[in-house]
Amino acid sequence: MSTGSVEVVYRGIFQKTLAKNICRGVVFAARKEGKIGMAFGRYSDSPERNGIPAKQFAVVSDTQEELQEYLSRYEPDNNDVTIAADDTLCKGVESWAWYGLQPINKLLKEGGTLLVPSMRSPDDLIRDIHRKGAPYNLAIVKGTASFSGLWVYKNDHTDVRLLGALAKVAPHIIGRDAILETIREQWKDEQKVASAKKSYELTKSKSVGADQGNDEVPFEFELPGWTKMEEGLVIRGMAGEQKVAGRDGGYVPARNPTFKKFSTRTMRPVVNFDTCTQCKICWLQCPDTCFDITPDGFYDANMEACCGCGVCEAVCPVDNCITMVNEQAFTDNASQWEMWAKDKEGYSAWMSKKIAAQPPRSHGFHHRGQYAEEIAHESS
Amino acid sequence: MQESSIALTDFISTQVLEPWKGIKKVAREELFTSGHRTCQGCESALVMRLMIKAAGPRTIVLGATGCMYVANTTYYSTPWVVPWMHTQLGSAGSAATGTAAALTALMRKGKMEKEPINVIAFCGDGGGADMGLSAISAALQHTQYNLLIFLYDNESYANTDIQVSGLSPYGANSTFSPPGKVHRIMHKRWKKNTAAMLAAGHPDCKYVATVAAGNAVDTLNKVRRALSIGGPTFIHSLDPCPKGWDYDPKYSHELGELAVETGIWPLFEVEEGKLKMYGKSKHIASGAIKRKPVKEYLLRQGRFAHFTDEDIAYFQGKIDAMWENWLLPGVIPFRAA
Repeated sequence: MSTGSVEVVYRGIFQKTLAKNICRGVVFAARKEGKIGMAFGRYSDSPERNGIPAKQFAVVSDTQEELQEYLSRYEPDNNDVTIAADDTLCKGVESWAWYGLQPINKLLKEGGTLLVPSMRSPDDLIRDIHRKGAPYNLAIVKGTASFSGLWVYKNDHTDVRLLGALAKVAPHIIGRDAILETIREQWKDEQKVASAKKSYELTKSKSVGADQGNDEVPFEFELPGWTKMEEGLVIRGMAGEQKVAGRDGGYVPARNPTFKKFSTRTMRPVVNFDTCTQCKICWLQCPDTCFDITPDGFYDANMEACCGCGVCEAVCPVDNCITMVNEQAFTDNASQWEMWAKDKEGYSAWMSKKIAAQPPRSHGFHHRGQYAEEIAHESS
Repeated sequence: MQESSIALTDFISTQVLEPWKGIKKVAREELFTSGHRTCQGCESALVMRLMIKAAGPRTIVLGATGCMYVANTTYYSTPWVVPWMHTQLGSAGSAATGTAAALTALMRKGKMEKEPINVIAFCGDGGGADMGLSAISAALQHTQYNLLIFLYDNESYANTDIQVSGLSPYGANSTFSPPGKVHRIMHKRWKKNTAAMLAAGHPDCKYVATVAAGNAVDTLNKVRRALSIGGPTFIHSLDPCPKGWDYDPKYSHELGELAVETGIWPLFEVEEGKLKMYGKSKHIASGAIKRKPVKEYLLRQGRFAHFTDEDIAYFQGKIDAMWENWLLPGVIPFRAA
């Protein structure tokens, strides 16, 4: 008599099909072992957006009664396995306003396993993951995050590789043979079965101590109850401008304090202020109003507000002025302009290092045939 | 009837919003700011930001249901600095008329100081061109009220995960039109010619324009013109949607430009009965530049990834006809028999 659950945290529309494939796979495999399962997404994630962290769950029980009992909660909070479908989610998850920043391991049970597809080392990932206060395990499936869109799916086997790894780290939820048989039935593709088998064999867990990890206290809010809301559900508007010390003569827009959106980011713009011509195009074209105008007329991408869409890099008319860099290279949201203003040479060295060291990231559909090209490149 | 001695025209002055000549002149004040739950690279969020930047602080914004309502006001929070109110899906026109009428009445009765206040109601393609078309039509007939209906068109019901609307392009993949093995093209209706239809059908409406936010300064100035000219006005913006069109969010700007350069999205304004093409569309119409092939636009988007050469040729043929056979190229389709 038991129930097990898997939480899949993923990047909204970019990984919606991936998350669905994983959760469906778990439920179909459970049936093969005479168990009963259910897969579902959180209602409050809907409608999903590109990049904004969302969650789906797969719950498996021995009996229907146990399953129903488990599902009576709003969100499974005692998961055997948490899958972070993109390794930058290890920095924390903010799904909507008032949510705060939820550590990636928050809903993982003590002794459970955090499963991440990544090219990074366990120690490097643990640097980003908030301390849990209880021991758990970390397992890495070697590979880059799989991103695609709503209509064209990147079939790079990340789905079945995660299912294979899941069978290894949580055999009490799904067994190896059941998952391989499910993959054979669902995809009718022996290569996908082989990928899952190989992933099963290669996956190893590393134990993470209660006090290991990022010691930053993630921001949180106290949710206002209905008694605190105003008549007519009026929301007070924001002031237009923030007064920030050292920024007189510039312009720093007010920002929604209860939804920061930066946990949506997988890449961030790095600005070369030495080549910037102050043409203002990045500022004017930013959908998230994230550029602060500095007193000396530069445009400083505010890292609390930037969600990493890359439009600024695309519209910048200067070569090598704005470069999108993999978010894994950074551990804070500090102002680049302030760093540059203090020490121009130091900033230049820092910037070059960040740009050079980081692998690029795929961010969705560019052209027909692109995913096949990427898969060929990744496997070579 | 003491009040009837005061003519309505006493209250219909507008704010004078001069055009901004170049990007350096654009106001730095932000009235739609950060912290909305839209997709990465959401062009409609940019359009909201530009729309209200152009209008300025003395503005009331009304928003029909859609992404720009749901994503922007997630659970008890807002990125709006100006007063904003939600209205029902098909109600942009009625909400705008009602608000403009209410302001007039309050000022006439001395309950508010006399002051020109901009009223903008926005709607998506579903809320505007499908459900709300009759209410917008009615609003454009009420020439005594100053208001702007702003249609942000991402070519589907994007908020509820991409269902077909009357403005979805031919053949696009959507939740309602998934291409299958037997039937490849499931959406066969051609996109409604909304802005030109409203301009042609409401001769007393002083200003109708199409915009694309890639041309940010033009977009700002079209909004400023619409709000300054008085009476009910209409602007239709084509907004590339990374979620529904399925492309890398960094290409929002580029796809908007491609829509113009391929001739799929003509940029024009109809001011007091006079049509003017502007931007690259002006040069396409005059023959100064050639249209790019629609293939360059279509194959950049996952929603057209199932298109065959035959489908692309059909699409190209419809666009060619629009520029070569129409009475007013890109604007009015019929001609005298």
